Amino acid sequence: MHPHSSAPEARYQLAPQVYLAWCIFVVWGLPMPSPAVAGLIVSPTSVVLDSPEASQQLIVSLTDEVGRRDVTGDIRMSVGDVSVADIEGRALVRPRSEGRTEIVIQFGNETVRVPVDVIKQRLPDPVSFRNEIIPILTKARCNSGGCHGKAEGQNGFKLSIFGFDAESDYAALMKDGKGRRISLTQPQTSLVLVKGTSQMPHGGGRKIEVDSYRYNRVLRWIREGARLDPVSSETGQIVSIEVEPREQILLANGTQQLRVTAIDRSGTRRCVTVEAEYESNAAAIADVDQRGLVQASDVPGEAAILVRYLGHVTSCRVTLPRSGVMFERPAETNFVDKLVWDQLGRLGIKAGSAASDSEFLRRVYFDTIGTLPTSEEARRYLADASTDKRDQLIEELLNRDEYVDYWTMKWLDILRADQLIVTPQGTVAMQRWLRHCFQQNVPFDQMARELLTVQGSTTAEGPGAFYKILKEPDEMSRAVSQLLLGVRIECAQCHHHPSERWSQGDYTALAGFFTGVKLKKLPNGTEAIVSLGGKDLPHPRTGELVSARALGAAQTDLSGLSDRRVALADWLVRPDNEFFAKAIANRIWAHYLGRGLVEPVDDIRETNPATNEPLMKALSQHMIGVKFDMKSFTRTLLRSRVYQLSSESNDSNRDDLQNFSHATYKALPAEVLLDAISQSTGVAEKFNGWPDGYRAIQIWDNRMPSYFFQIFGRPVRATVCECERSGEPSISQALHLLNSPEITAKIRHREGMARRLAKSELTVDELIDELYLTALSRFPRDEERALMADAFAVPEISRQEAVEDVLWALLNMKEFIFNH
Amino acid sequence: MLRLELGKPSVGNCDGVDRRHALRLGATSLLGGLSLPTLLELQAKAGTGREVRAKSCVFLFLEGGPPHQDMWDPKPDAPVEIRGPFLPISTNVPGTFITNQLPHCAKIADKYTILRSHSHRDNGHSTGYHYVMTGRRANFADGDNPVPNNDYFPSIGSIVARELNQGGAVPPYINLPHPMQGGGPGFYGAEYAPFIIESDPTQPDFEVRDLQPISGLSNGRVSTRRKLLAGIDRLERSRAQGRASVMSTYYEKAHSLITSSEAKRAFDIHSEPDDVRDRYGRTQIGQCALLARRLVEGGCRFVGVDAPGWDVHFNCFPSLQTDLIPYADQAFSALILDLEERGLLDETLVVMMGEMGRTPRVNAQAGRDHWSMAQTVIFAGGGVKPGQVIGATDKHATAPSTEPISVNDLLRTIHTLMGIDPDRTYLGPLGRPVPLVDGGKFIDALV
Repeated sequence: MHPHSSAPEARYQLAPQVYLAWCIFVVWGLPMPSPAVAGLIVSPTSVVLDSPEASQQLIVSLTDEVGRRDVTGDIRMSVGDVSVADIEGRALVRPRSEGRTEIVIQFGNETVRVPVDVIKQRLPDPVSFRNEIIPILTKARCNSGGCHGKAEGQNGFKLSIFGFDAESDYAALMKDGKGRRISLTQPQTSLVLVKGTSQMPHGGGRKIEVDSYRYNRVLRWIREGARLDPVSSETGQIVSIEVEPREQILLANGTQQLRVTAIDRSGTRRCVTVEAEYESNAAAIADVDQRGLVQASDVPGEAAILVRYLGHVTSCRVTLPRSGVMFERPAETNFVDKLVWDQLGRLGIKAGSAASDSEFLRRVYFDTIGTLPTSEEARRYLADASTDKRDQLIEELLNRDEYVDYWTMKWLDILRADQLIVTPQGTVAMQRWLRHCFQQNVPFDQMARELLTVQGSTTAEGPGAFYKILKEPDEMSRAVSQLLLGVRIECAQCHHHPSERWSQGDYTALAGFFTGVKLKKLPNGTEAIVSLGGKDLPHPRTGELVSARALGAAQTDLSGLSDRRVALADWLVRPDNEFFAKAIANRIWAHYLGRGLVEPVDDIRETNPATNEPLMKALSQHMIGVKFDMKSFTRTLLRSRVYQLSSESNDSNRDDLQNFSHATYKALPAEVLLDAISQSTGVAEKFNGWPDGYRAIQIWDNRMPSYFFQIFGRPVRATVCECERSGEPSISQALHLLNSPEITAKIRHREGMARRLAKSELTVDELIDELYLTALSRFPRDEERALMADAFAVPEISRQEAVEDVLWALLNMKEFIFNH
Repeated sequence: MLRLELGKPSVGNCDGVDRRHALRLGATSLLGGLSLPTLLELQAKAGTGREVRAKSCVFLFLEGGPPHQDMWDPKPDAPVEIRGPFLPISTNVPGTFITNQLPHCAKIADKYTILRSHSHRDNGHSTGYHYVMTGRRANFADGDNPVPNNDYFPSIGSIVARELNQGGAVPPYINLPHPMQGGGPGFYGAEYAPFIIESDPTQPDFEVRDLQPISGLSNGRVSTRRKLLAGIDRLERSRAQGRASVMSTYYEKAHSLITSSEAKRAFDIHSEPDDVRDRYGRTQIGQCALLARRLVEGGCRFVGVDAPGWDVHFNCFPSLQTDLIPYADQAFSALILDLEERGLLDETLVVMMGEMGRTPRVNAQAGRDHWSMAQTVIFAGGGVKPGQVIGATDKHATAPSTEPISVNDLLRTIHTLMGIDPDRTYLGPLGRPVPLVDGGKFIDALV
């Protein structure tokens, strides 16, 4: 156990916030709490059910000294007149016949009464296809991508995915299938009902129960003539949805019933809890069922419950604190620490201990310059007694040449510099441009502008070759959006994005900036990027021209611009752009801390919130504040105590993977690991066809055949997604490190480290020190020294063989293979 | 390493059965009440609703495009420039004829099923490998593409490895002897990449890459190294987390691959009696087929045998007659009989096919060219009803005259036979769900 976790030092203060966390009142939207019983809150305070299939979810919660908790499922409730209304499942009120009654909720000696009005049962408003039938098809997953929603449909019946196109779905039901899907004369025999209920064999099985509310609603719609309501009909277009609660703190294994309300243009609110869809982004922390019941596990953390209804999306944030933890608030260097400690306090997760000097040294070398410290560097640093030596080291590393090498390599991957496609000259041109940027520390907004608006030869220094990979305007806009905004919009190419706000119109509008981009052949056989003029593109469904427009932005005035992309670049780097700074801040954070605040790093959307929103926001602001100076931003991260935490975990934070309570084990990129092996063994890797002296992180040829690169997951640069670089371990990796002739040859090499050390005058103790410093950047612990010394004590093993064996063992330590 | 979450039926499948999903958390132990095999069993039944027999698949991939009409789909009534020089012979299944180049297979036609109506529209090699292995059309031009060439979509072997890995010493997905061109893991990542032996099992000094003990290490050093490694592991175990502890388990696997008798045995083709090795043929495809059987016995779930050389554009009949067809004939028939003898045929699905068939008409250089419009695929074992001929081509073996069987029909069928739900999806790097199989229909006639 590390001393910090058992005996708090003076610089750690106890935080009062952790106790407050238990008393936070979650603010609910509507309605007002019922005053009837102190501590018991029932919402809503009255219920109106205005159609035969309507329902209203009640939520009952109890407030006591530990906070507010959901008791909807645990409390006794009854209906005054069961011929008027009834309760189904967990406090879902359903109509039976027109009239008035009340729900009586009893708690102890107290009683709360909720009046219920049941109206429009005999002469209901007609069923709206758009607002009421489509959600049924969605909830039953008829229109999902695996079933009738896929591009070719299923067994001849094709629906639009997630029901984004009501007109075509209506046509598919009414006109295709020889009119058998809907029978107006005998509604019950409509195929959509007999198949959906599995009364007739249905590949998808039973999706709807006979006589259920959903069944009855579809049946009523058919009986009413199966009409498609006009867009602007009286029932009104749904303009938004709300979920209650928006935030909730739950105890381990606790539950929370959600309620979802749809609001139409006229402001009418209807409970759609049973028809909405639910999904948790962290089911291990809190999961949700399709009736909107959230079930917490016993893993502390935060989960976002995504709620979807008719193309509208919202979410509820669930926090699951660990109970009984005394949070010792470590000291703060900067705002990063403050916001991380805030969150850990809220969650009841202990911060880990501070990283030792050797741990910090190795980590900051690998993260910043992709290079293992030499034993000499390690010795010097560990012996340095100055108090600001960490800050000094950070400065030193940010100014090393390897910083340029390493970040150039990383961005060649992200920019997809695949030499098979962009040609070797194009790859080198991009490499030189990136080297220049990182050498000069060009602000990222300027880099992005250059990338976005580049013109001229694809083989001259610059990012022009990026456009060789992307053939069509929409490919360009997709890549740029994912790369620079962290927004994945490709789903919106074919349909309304199922979990985001982007529509096909937004997609087309963004592509409109790239319609002037052409690849021109030059007389000398090379190519040049030209962007001149351009035109607006037609909407894929309606065919109407869509004006070029950035995501979420107003229409742009393109008159007087010869290159439309300039307008996009202007928008991109504007301080009020909510995506750009966030995307790059999150990307750099993920590089150093091992996980994005938003994960995947390039999938930023409302429904995929950051694990620490205040920190995400502060980092975006900071990025803007330092004017996109990447070294400055990096310095802030590296100096924070959060970055400088040990990777050792304690009982309280062992399972925490997303709140940065301790450092994580990161896979070393294939190139970095190979360089580390070469450096530790003292034998440079020979890259086929390359001159001597190159390190793996300098090799721009992404197609260089290498078994090592292949098994350690060097990306092939097929996408702009950082996820392409696989950090996943495999058997082949372990086999290769343990047993391959290649690494054996490096260990045994006649001019290698092992032989050099064996020939030296060093004592066994000194040898072991040197080997540990070489491979692990630290001195051995006593038990390690004893273990390794044994190798030197075997009579039939020579000194040189013993050095080889120890070096081999060190190269196979997880501590060597990973960055931690 | 894995945490299996079993409590909740997640969103229903199109097949009407609720699916359970396994969630990777990076935790260090197996939690949850069910063992992995039990889960697999449940999943198998839940996904497909039929009894699953096939635990493993041996995929003999005749790369280059085997000529269907010279092997399995003879057209004796066609003109000679169509039918070629080979004659039909009867098999032990009355009414089923194949060419006289397949005498061994002719004797055991009751043990496999011939599907003559496979057809697709990708007439290239590397694009065809990509298509057959992933079910997705390649987005690159045919040519000298890198291996593996499936950057994005996972190959069938990687899918099987992901879905059915039981964690024994023998890796779940293996390529023999070289990597298959479309056989990579795509976005699934290195974890599901094939284990590739990269050496030729016909050679007397055959050994598997990185598997042989390091040369020149005395017994003393071997035991010293073992002690050091064990010592390190003891000291590191409490500290390593996340991926690093997953790596620990791979170290254990690698170590057992190197040291375990199970894995050693699986790869040790030299321990096969000479007469068995002869029965398979001392050819690359023969010895790979034999090694495949050993690997299946050792717990491997998908063995892809890379058997190249079928791209016979010029003067094709001599080489078909002397090298290609006889070697395949011998290897395939020996494999089927051997598996049957050992009681393994029922649980081992054997598929033999190429990326395409060959042109009906013999060309001016006495060869046959690329022809993806028709190909014959051979299925055996793994719950397949044997002794059948499914589908037919027209009188010149040009195209199916029955309903054509697509690449995705084949892939869907193989997955289903192995108990894998073909409609399961994983999120690709672009954030879109990627189903294991892109459509297709199960070939009902096969079972």
